[in-house]
Amino acid sequence: MPPIRPSRRDFLSIASTSAAGLLLARPHAAIGQMVGGSAPFADYRALVCVFLFGGNDSFNMLVPRSTAEYDAYAAARQNLAVARDQLLPIAPTISDGADYGVHPSMPGLQTLFEQGQAAFVANVGPLIEPTTKAQYEAKNVLLPPQLFSHNDQQDQWHSLRGRTISETGWAGRMADLIRVNVAGQQLATNVSLAGNTLFQSGGDTVAYSMGATGPTQFAGFGPAGRELEQRRAFERIINAPYDSIYARAFAEVQRRAVEAADRVTAAINQLPPPSTVFPTSPLGQQLQTVARLIAVRSELAMKRQVFFVSTGGFDSHDDQLVNQPNLLGNISACLAAFHAATVELGVAGAVTTFTQSDFGRTLTSNGDGTDHAWGGVQVVVGQAVRGRRIFGRYPSLALNGPDDVGGGRMIPAVSADQYAATLARWFGIGDAELASVAPNIGNFNERDLGFMV
Amino acid sequence: MLLAACGGSSGGGSSAAVPTPAPAAPPPTGITKPEAFRFLNQATMGATTAEADRVIAMGYEAWINDQLARPASLELPNLQAVQPPPQNSGDLHRNRVDMWFRNAVTGQDQLRQRVAFAWSEIMVVSQVGALANLPYAVASYQDLLARQGLGNFRDLMESVTLHPAMGVYLSMLGNQRPNAAANIRPDENYARELMQLFTVGLVELNLDGTPRLDGAGQPIPTYSQPVIEGFAHVYTGWTYAGAPSFGQARPTPANQVVPMQLYASFHDPGPKLVLGGVTIPAGQTGAQDLDAALDSIFTHPNVGPFIAQRLIQRLVASNPSPAYVSRVAQRFNDNGRGGRGDLAAVVTAILLDPEARGPSTASTGKLKEPLLRLTQLWRAYNGHAANGSFAAFANPGPFLGQGPLQAGSVFNFFGPDYAPPGEIRALGLVAPELEIATEYQNTQLTNRLRTYAFRNSRTAGLTPEDIVIDLDAEVAVANDASALATLVADKLLAGQVSTTLRTEIVNLVGRYGTTAADAPNRAAQAIYSVVTSPEYALQP
Repeated sequence: MPPIRPSRRDFLSIASTSAAGLLLARPHAAIGQMVGGSAPFADYRALVCVFLFGGNDSFNMLVPRSTAEYDAYAAARQNLAVARDQLLPIAPTISDGADYGVHPSMPGLQTLFEQGQAAFVANVGPLIEPTTKAQYEAKNVLLPPQLFSHNDQQDQWHSLRGRTISETGWAGRMADLIRVNVAGQQLATNVSLAGNTLFQSGGDTVAYSMGATGPTQFAGFGPAGRELEQRRAFERIINAPYDSIYARAFAEVQRRAVEAADRVTAAINQLPPPSTVFPTSPLGQQLQTVARLIAVRSELAMKRQVFFVSTGGFDSHDDQLVNQPNLLGNISACLAAFHAATVELGVAGAVTTFTQSDFGRTLTSNGDGTDHAWGGVQVVVGQAVRGRRIFGRYPSLALNGPDDVGGGRMIPAVSADQYAATLARWFGIGDAELASVAPNIGNFNERDLGFMV
Repeated sequence: MLLAACGGSSGGGSSAAVPTPAPAAPPPTGITKPEAFRFLNQATMGATTAEADRVIAMGYEAWINDQLARPASLELPNLQAVQPPPQNSGDLHRNRVDMWFRNAVTGQDQLRQRVAFAWSEIMVVSQVGALANLPYAVASYQDLLARQGLGNFRDLMESVTLHPAMGVYLSMLGNQRPNAAANIRPDENYARELMQLFTVGLVELNLDGTPRLDGAGQPIPTYSQPVIEGFAHVYTGWTYAGAPSFGQARPTPANQVVPMQLYASFHDPGPKLVLGGVTIPAGQTGAQDLDAALDSIFTHPNVGPFIAQRLIQRLVASNPSPAYVSRVAQRFNDNGRGGRGDLAAVVTAILLDPEARGPSTASTGKLKEPLLRLTQLWRAYNGHAANGSFAAFANPGPFLGQGPLQAGSVFNFFGPDYAPPGEIRALGLVAPELEIATEYQNTQLTNRLRTYAFRNSRTAGLTPEDIVIDLDAEVAVANDASALATLVADKLLAGQVSTTLRTEIVNLVGRYGTTAADAPNRAAQAIYSVVTSPEYALQP
C-alpha cells in the first residue's frame, strides 16, 4: 500500500525544523490587516513548475517490474509496452509490494530517485472529490468538466478550479497571499519562461514573462542623448491615456517590459552562469536561465519565486515508440542538470521542481500511439523532497480493473489539489489559506501528501 | 501566377471598339478615410491609402463583392515551380512562408487572404511538429483555406478532414479499425478536435453564442466520450492516396497535396454513434460514414454561433455582443436563399454588421496580431527585398510570437477565451491576442518593428535578401518634422493620430540632423514611433 504519512506529524516536523519559513507565513492575517503581521520571509524558497504540454504518457515513465504487475501492464499496453528488462530499476525505501523501474531513457531521473533527491506522485490528476469507479459510472460524484480535453485539463492543473470559473491559477493565488511578505522583491513572485499561463495568473499580482534565455532589452534605448530621449518618448506614449481597453492593456504590458528589462538583465549578468552543463533543448535553456535567476536572488531581493517552464510534444497520438524516448530522455537530463545546478548554487534544499501535464494517456493503443486519459505520474525533485518514495497510489493497470474507466483511463488516486497543497505548504502558505490555493482540498482527508520534508 | 484583372475600376480594356456608354458616376459613399481604414484592417492584411480610396469610391458591399469574385492567390504552384526542387524541408518551408508574405503583402485577393489567415488560426495545422517534413502539404492546406474559406462550410470541413496536412497533424491519416486482440482502438485525436475546436465546441450554444444551461444552471456538454469514439471509428481507413497498401503509405511531394484515400479493409464496418443522437448503421462504406458523420456536425445548431463567434474574433472584435453573434449565426443558418453554411454570406454579414461599422467604443475592436501589424507596415510602405523574396523572415516566431501556419499546437498561438489580468478580466471580457503579448514577446516585436522601420531602400550595405521599405515620399518632406508626422500618420493611421504621439514624433525627428543622410532616419523614426504605439496596435 502506498506510504502516506500522517499530515499532523508532518506539519510538526516542518514547524520544528523550519519555524521561520512556515510560522511567519501567515499571509491571510497580514493581508486582512495590511499593517503589522506582515513580516517578510526569512528564508528563500522557489518552486519550479515543469509543464509537459500534450499529456505525458507517464505510465511508461514509471513502470511496475514485479511479475504480476508487469504482466498486467504489458497486457494493457501491448505494442507500446517497455520491455521489462529495459526498465531502469529503482528501490523505494517504502514498498507498496510491487517493484518499479523508470523508462530506459531516464537514467538521470533514476539516479536522482536513488539518491533520495526525487519522488514520484503516482496517479494524480484533477478531481473535485475522492472518486471511485462505481461513483464515476453511477454519475453520482462531482467531476472536473471536460475530462480528456487538453486545454480544459491544463486549466484544471493550472487553476484547480473544479466546476467553477476561475481566471486565477494556484501559483498566482499564492503570490497574492504572500505579497506583503515579499514586499521588497524587485521582480514579481511569478516568472514565466514559457509565455502567459493561467497557473501564474493572480487576482492582485501579475507574472513577469521572459524568454528561454532571459529577458530582452529594447533596442535603441540608451542612457543618454537621442537614445535616452527615444526611451522617454516611448514611455510617454505608453503612459498616455487611451480610450480602448485593448490599447490600455497593451500599453500596460509595454510599461512592465520597459520597467523590468534593464534591472533583470543587469542582475542576471552580474554572475556567470553556473558551470553545470545543461542540455541544449529549449527546456534545458529555460532551466539554465532559472538557475541564473536563482543565483542572483539576493541582488533582486527575492524571497519566494515560482518559475514556469515547459516543453511540448507529449500528445503522442502517433509514433509514440519513436518519440517517447526523446521526450522522456530530455526531461530526465534537464531535471538532473537543474538539480545539479541548485547543488552548485547551494540552494538544493530551497528549490523544489515538479512536473504537471494535461493528463495521463490511455493504456490501450490506437495503433502507434495513445489518446487522452486522466490520472498519471508526476515527478518532484529537490533536497526538500522526501525522496526515493512513491507517494499517492500506483494504480492497477489492468484493463477494466478498479481504476480504469475505459480504454485504460486511470481514475486519479490523489488529486491535483492535494499535490498543489503539499507544495504550497512547503512554500509557506499557512493551513488557513490552503483552501484559497487549492479550492477542493477540503474534500480530501489528506491535505498534505507528505512528499515534502 | 495570380495577376487577375488589375484595378477593377476602369471598366474598359475590352478588345473590340464597341463604344460603351460611360457608366453613371456612383453615388458618393460618404465613407471617410478613417472609416475605410477600419474596414480594411478587418477585411485585409493591412489598410493602405490606395485600397481605402477604392473602398471610398465603391462602398463596402461593392468592394466585398469585387473581392469575392477574385481568384485565390496560391502558394503551392510556386513551390512546385522551383527547379530543381529543394530537397530540404526547411528550405521548402522557407519558400512557403515567402509565398505567404507575398500573397499577404501584394495579393489582389486581400479578403481571401485575410479570411484564410483567420481559418488557419481556427482549423489549425502547423509547420511545427509532425508537418516539419511536409512543406508541400502545409502550402496546399493554406491554398485550400484561400480557395474554400469563402465557399460553403460543409465543403470546407470535408476538404480539411481529408487533407493530408490535417490527416498527419491530428493523426487521422493511418487510423485503422480496432483490433481487440491487441487492445488497439481507433485514434480519437481528430474526432475530438474537429468538434471541440473547429465546429461545435464543448457546450451547447444558443444562437447568440451564449451557453445553454440545464435546470441546475450548468452548461450542457455538446457530446460525450462515446460520441468521440463513434467519430474515431468513422475516421478509419484513410491514408495517402495511391499507396501500394495502407501500411506502406509514405508521403511524397505528390500525395501530400491531394485528398487522402480510403482503404476499405481498414475501415471499421460497425455502427457508430455521432452527433445529434444519430447512429450510423453498420456496413456502410467509409465514404458514406464520413458523409453521415460530417452531416451530423454540419447540421448541429452550434455550428452557426460557434463559427460566427470565432470568425468575428479573428476579423473584427474580441467581444462581439450576443446580438452581433446572433445576426451572423442566422446568416450562417440561412444565407437568405435557404442555403446553410455560405461563408461568403457569413463574412459579408460580419463586415457589414452595425457593430463592425458603427461607432467605436472602449471595448469594440481588438488588438492587431503581430503578423498583421507587420503586414500592414509592409503593405503601406512596399515592403520587399531586392530579390523579390520574403524568405529572410521565414521564421518569425521568435520575433513575433507567431508565424504563418506555425502555431505551437492545434490550440493556435492564443485562445479565444484568454482574459488578461486587470481591467479586461475584471469586465468579464477577453482579448485573445494579448495572450502572446508578454513583456518578452512585446519587446521582441518592438525591436523587430524597429529593424523593419529603419531598414529601407537607401540603407547602406543591403543584401538582396534584406526586406526593406520605401521612404521616398517621407524623405522628400523629412526636414519638415510636422509634415513628416502628418504623412506617416496618414498612411498608417488614416490621420487619426493622438496629440501625444504626434508631439513625440515631431520631437524625436528633430533630434536628427537635416542632411540628406539623416532624412531616411528621420522618416524611419516617425514610422517606428507609430508602428510600436498602442494606437497602431489597436484595431478599433
